[in-house]
Amino acid sequence: MSNNRLTRRALIAGAGAGGLGAALAAPVLAQKLIDLGLPGGPSLRPLEPAFPGKSEMIVQRIRPPLLETPMAAFREGVITPNDRFFVRWNWSMPTEINAAAHRVAIGGAVKTPVSLTLDDIASAGETVEVVAINQCAGNGRGLSEPRVTGTQWGNGAMGCARWTGVRLRDVLAKAGVAPGAARVRFSGLDVPMTDGAPQFVKSIPMDIALRDDVLVAWGMNGEPLPLLHGYPLRIVVPGWFSTYWVKMLATIEVLTGEDDSYYVAKSYRMPEAPITPEDKDFPTVPITAMPPRAFITSHADGAVVAKGKPLTLEGIAMGGDAALTKVDLVGNGLAMTCTLGPDEGPYAFRRWSVTIPQVTGDLANIGVRAANAKGAVQPEALNWNPSGYARNVIERITLRAQ
Amino acid sequence: MRAAAIILAALLLTGCERAPEVTFADASITLPDDPLDLPDLPGRDAVIANCTACHSPSTMLQQPKIPRAKWESQVTKMIEIYKAPIDEAAIPQIVDYMVAVQAAQTETGPAQ
Repeated sequence: MSNNRLTRRALIAGAGAGGLGAALAAPVLAQKLIDLGLPGGPSLRPLEPAFPGKSEMIVQRIRPPLLETPMAAFREGVITPNDRFFVRWNWSMPTEINAAAHRVAIGGAVKTPVSLTLDDIASAGETVEVVAINQCAGNGRGLSEPRVTGTQWGNGAMGCARWTGVRLRDVLAKAGVAPGAARVRFSGLDVPMTDGAPQFVKSIPMDIALRDDVLVAWGMNGEPLPLLHGYPLRIVVPGWFSTYWVKMLATIEVLTGEDDSYYVAKSYRMPEAPITPEDKDFPTVPITAMPPRAFITSHADGAVVAKGKPLTLEGIAMGGDAALTKVDLVGNGLAMTCTLGPDEGPYAFRRWSVTIPQVTGDLANIGVRAANAKGAVQPEALNWNPSGYARNVIERITLRAQ
Repeated sequence: MRAAAIILAALLLTGCERAPEVTFADASITLPDDPLDLPDLPGRDAVIANCTACHSPSTMLQQPKIPRAKWESQVTKMIEIYKAPIDEAAIPQIVDYMVAVQAAQTETGPAQ
């Protein structure tokens, strides 16, 4: 689990460590760093530079932005504030939106292709709100052992917001879905930085697209979507990983068959069955619905607790693509059922708490284990895969009794 | 960022017409520059010429330690899938550089 230990140290731009050559004539930057506890490192990440509309974030990449939420932001409530919400762009993001000129084109297997203004979309149907977790498929990738390449996230590539918009099915009705429709594909305004590279387009099956709670959203926690989160419109698919929540929505395309585009057919895929790091050439399936997860937010790994006293642990949990049903405290001989906090719906975080009557010694490798209404339970061992997707192993910490 | 749109509470007008619930305005932001530079090791020029258009130095320095063959396959992936216009002669220099940068990294932090 990420530790959020803060340190200050000078990063010397352009200089190598331990006699790696003379430092270049570059400014010495005093940077605030955070330790994500990534096994084997590098584990320190800067909390700078500041991004527009954001307070303190873990800067995983500056261009295109990859910003991670420090675990401290999850210590209270279930809603992640917009200024602490993680940010992930695959390709370069536009930094300017002309609202009057923006159009969403609906085409493919439809009765009448249309090009809709933002007002057309906003008035396409009833305005709906859903509280849902948006989590990167690679959340926690940096904690994989053995390590894998890709964005080295700790566990903060997730957040829970109240999303406001209209149902995707009401927007689709503006064009009319033709017979034989199988999937709905989305693209945004972000385009590849190299000629010929695959555009970031994603599709969902028609039965998901027609769900009551799948939205074309413009609101995030009662505010307009920030540009970093996809202004003016993004797709919201509660219970599914955020790769499908296409930002800066520009096109909606109804497909009659499978989607052979790169980010569906080749990327964002998991082994169909468990594998070992030595396995090669295994069948894969798209990463889609989220599994349950739970986190201790009241205590960091290595924290000191009072011996002989009661200890209350708190945190957040999620059911994934079904409601959370149970959170258990496990490890170090413990098996306690946690008390769940207010229910904001099946796709939201839910707070939990549990009190150990008396701490008698160190609490080694304790963790919380979530289960959902579909019967999915967090596993003891990491379901390792080469892209580090869908991490949901029980996250463990050790507390020192004094 | 500038206020981009105003979301109004749902408001029912006489005649049951729904008032516009959202207005969309123009919006723009300015993203920060990348303040990190790359350590001065052989191959740095090749990395700057071929990689930094898409990859922040910060990201390159944050990858877990992987063997040379894996770096070679990473560069090949960038060329074949992401169509990176990488000069073929630069590939060994890029790989050498990434291997050297990782060898110089401290246990938890980037080379510095």
